Amino acid sequence: MNTSSDHTVSDEQAVWNQAHDRLRDFLNSFALGDHAQISRLTLKLLDQAREQHRQDPTLAPVSLALAQAQKQTEEWFASNLEINSPLPSELLASGNLALLLSRAFRTAPETFLTAPLPEKLKESIHQALLVTGPDLQISSMTPRAIDYGPMLDLARTTWHRWNPREVITALLFWAGVYFVFYWWLSGAL
Amino acid sequence: MTTPQPENSAATRRTLFIGGSTLLTVTGFALLLHSYAGQPVFWADYIVIVLFPLLFGQIAIGFLLALFGFYDWLRGGDPLHLMRRPWRKNEESVPLAATAVVIPVFNEEVERVSHGIENMWNSLKKTGQMEHFDFYLCSDSNNPDRWIEEECAWLHLCQKLNAFGKIFYRKRRHAINSKSGNVADFCRRWGKRYRYMVILDADSVMSGPTMVRLVRAMEANPEVGILQTQPAMVLGRSPFRRLLQYSNSVYGKIFSQGCSMVQRSSGSYWGHNAVIRIAPFIEHCDLPMLPVPDPGKRHVLSHDTIEAALMQRAGYEVWVAYDEPDSYEEGPPNMSDMLKRDRRWCAGNLQHFWFLFARGIEMGNRLQIWIGLMAYLCSPIWLIFLIAGSIGSYDRARFLAFSAGPEDLESGQHAEAPILFITTMVLLFLPRVLGIASALPQARKYGGAFHLLLSSVIETAFSVLIAPVLMLFHSFFVLQAILGWQTKWTTQNRADTSLPLLHCLKLYGWQSLLGLGAQLLAWYFLGYNSYWLSLIFIAWVLAPLTAWMTSSRRLGEKLCAWGLFAIPQELEIPEVLEGLATEDGPEQAIVLSPLWPQALLCPYVQAVHLSMVRQRTSSRNGAKPASSLANLRERLIQQGAAALDKREIMRLLWDPETVFWLHKQLWSLPDSELHTSWRSLQSDCGDNDLLRHYLIVEPPQDGPDSL
Repeated sequence: MNTSSDHTVSDEQAVWNQAHDRLRDFLNSFALGDHAQISRLTLKLLDQAREQHRQDPTLAPVSLALAQAQKQTEEWFASNLEINSPLPSELLASGNLALLLSRAFRTAPETFLTAPLPEKLKESIHQALLVTGPDLQISSMTPRAIDYGPMLDLARTTWHRWNPREVITALLFWAGVYFVFYWWLSGAL
Repeated sequence: MTTPQPENSAATRRTLFIGGSTLLTVTGFALLLHSYAGQPVFWADYIVIVLFPLLFGQIAIGFLLALFGFYDWLRGGDPLHLMRRPWRKNEESVPLAATAVVIPVFNEEVERVSHGIENMWNSLKKTGQMEHFDFYLCSDSNNPDRWIEEECAWLHLCQKLNAFGKIFYRKRRHAINSKSGNVADFCRRWGKRYRYMVILDADSVMSGPTMVRLVRAMEANPEVGILQTQPAMVLGRSPFRRLLQYSNSVYGKIFSQGCSMVQRSSGSYWGHNAVIRIAPFIEHCDLPMLPVPDPGKRHVLSHDTIEAALMQRAGYEVWVAYDEPDSYEEGPPNMSDMLKRDRRWCAGNLQHFWFLFARGIEMGNRLQIWIGLMAYLCSPIWLIFLIAGSIGSYDRARFLAFSAGPEDLESGQHAEAPILFITTMVLLFLPRVLGIASALPQARKYGGAFHLLLSSVIETAFSVLIAPVLMLFHSFFVLQAILGWQTKWTTQNRADTSLPLLHCLKLYGWQSLLGLGAQLLAWYFLGYNSYWLSLIFIAWVLAPLTAWMTSSRRLGEKLCAWGLFAIPQELEIPEVLEGLATEDGPEQAIVLSPLWPQALLCPYVQAVHLSMVRQRTSSRNGAKPASSLANLRERLIQQGAAALDKREIMRLLWDPETVFWLHKQLWSLPDSELHTSWRSLQSDCGDNDLLRHYLIVEPPQDGPDSL
């Protein structure tokens, strides 16, 4: 846990404790399930970061430790997976995915960042392939022309030509229809 | 014995149907006119007279459909139906063709959707025909948590079922044209690979044998463009959902059979649980824009009816396979969710008005569009009818009290009014009786005859209580649509969650006040003549209580224990529905949030996300991001995940370089430069919900050869 608020430790100890905790959480994020391996790796990477810090004390221990961990992860993937990607992001994504799909993080956690993977596992990692969709076979799907008929004509004339005379004529016409209807029903009933 | 000719038979049925509904409407109208004979007629009465045929016509159509359906049930099904043609004799020999099962999703409950896919996969596998089917999960989700969860769930499914290359995931960056756009996007990208697609909703499930049989029906009948099943509503636990699924099961089937008898090859398409022939769908069924001035309102919201009309315009048939088993969906869990859905459907159906007079549309489709329009327009018409009827009644009472002579009082006594009332009641309730009669031989599947009858009585009472409430809401929705207020396509809630009483009081309280006020006014002006309106007012007054009680999960469990509203699929759960009920599956779904930050922290979640996003976007190869994106990155680091809104998060997640950059920064920056929330997320990263639920799985038991 973060002990930076602990008054009994010096500032330097606090930042290294912070680096330790962060490194441990980072390694835990690989869900290795092998606590001893995580502890070993944490201490090893922390020592390497201390060494770097001695050479350049301006760099934050957390950043140094995590940069070291990320660099080693990239190198480990590159050596085990034979992925030749120009981008570290692609290399790491492919490596992590291969690790996940092959379940190597559970079946061989002791090899993580330290040793070459067993050949059988390497083979299964190479086969791990993520296909989100098959090859595209593009079709053109466009709406066919449709004639909306008299309603469109009516709507167009209404929307585009609000002629007061036509409106008044229409109102008079329908009023006439209504009165004829009224007269007829009054007579009929 | 001569075999009936399909065309002649169809013409006879339609003549009987149209003739019958016209005759009933004219009879009702004549009875109404006679009931006015010798009486003074006021202006409000003319409104009643004009509106009456529209409303009575709707009731007559419903009655006749039920009558036709009941007749069809009595004779054991339509011998001319597509699913009873000679091809069924050699069904097994009909070859299958490449078929895609397309499931469009929009912020749905991911675990429920993936469980449904798993069940369908297993069911299809048992048929031995899996090689012909692929699954596509087509997402339009704009909730970042749902998106990341969908990606992980997809990988989980592929791993668990050993289905890489058979189950695919596609996320659209821009959800243009909602669900119809999502399906069209699938068609444009992969439509050519398949001859058919089975369209499902997020809550739909179909068994493998049903899918295989439907595809065979399409293959044996190349003139068919769409084959729609009648999905049964299932898995309801709340009283509301149980009532819906019960009425769907008992009464729905005879209505569907009746519709099918009349419609035949110009049937309906409901947008899901259907098989579609892809090539003509691509060629003819892309939705045209509506000819309205506002470009934002040109998209057809409710696509299915129009797609069916366009398919038939292209010369293909559309059939409803009303008695195909094992096709399921879920209904809305409570009244509020149903109203949300109805609001969308109302806006969509009213848009169909444009197609009512469009050239090239078949008469059967015009009828469907008309019935769809009237389904919602009837509400405001009923409301106006009731108000006008009350005013007319008041005017008449005043006339009789103050101005009428003895001869007027005598002339007011007519036998036609009670006859009209009784006729209307018969037309309204006889379909229910017919539905119960058709269910009685299978009463055991509904928990026995006593439970079936008692459930039907309670369901009828419930429908009497809910109809006036819906009338007011639907009238409001129609007004909204006419005034052009925008309706958004929202996610349908499918969890049986109880509604809080406060929510019910807020949403339905105005109806209670309206009901009380209207009852007082009616008593004051109409006196005892207002008795026929009281049922409506009572329903309004009770609306909050009705909504609250029918959403109660606890009451739902009790009804279940008492054996009320049981349906066959509840008493004997079909294999394809196993584990989908909320209490034994998705209820335990991930509830913690937010999930999306794990796409930045967890190496595996990030790897899955990047591998999908990278297939869709070109890499900037370390180039400097746009200043707005850089600003978002900084805010996220310094202010935490909660500082960004949904749109901003989606923008970050769509950029693979940003996702990777943030991963590095969030892990390597000192605590002093990070928002405090990131530390707890980092600590939980190794045991996050996505890892536990989806990514750390046991290897599949079957090899790839087992497909």
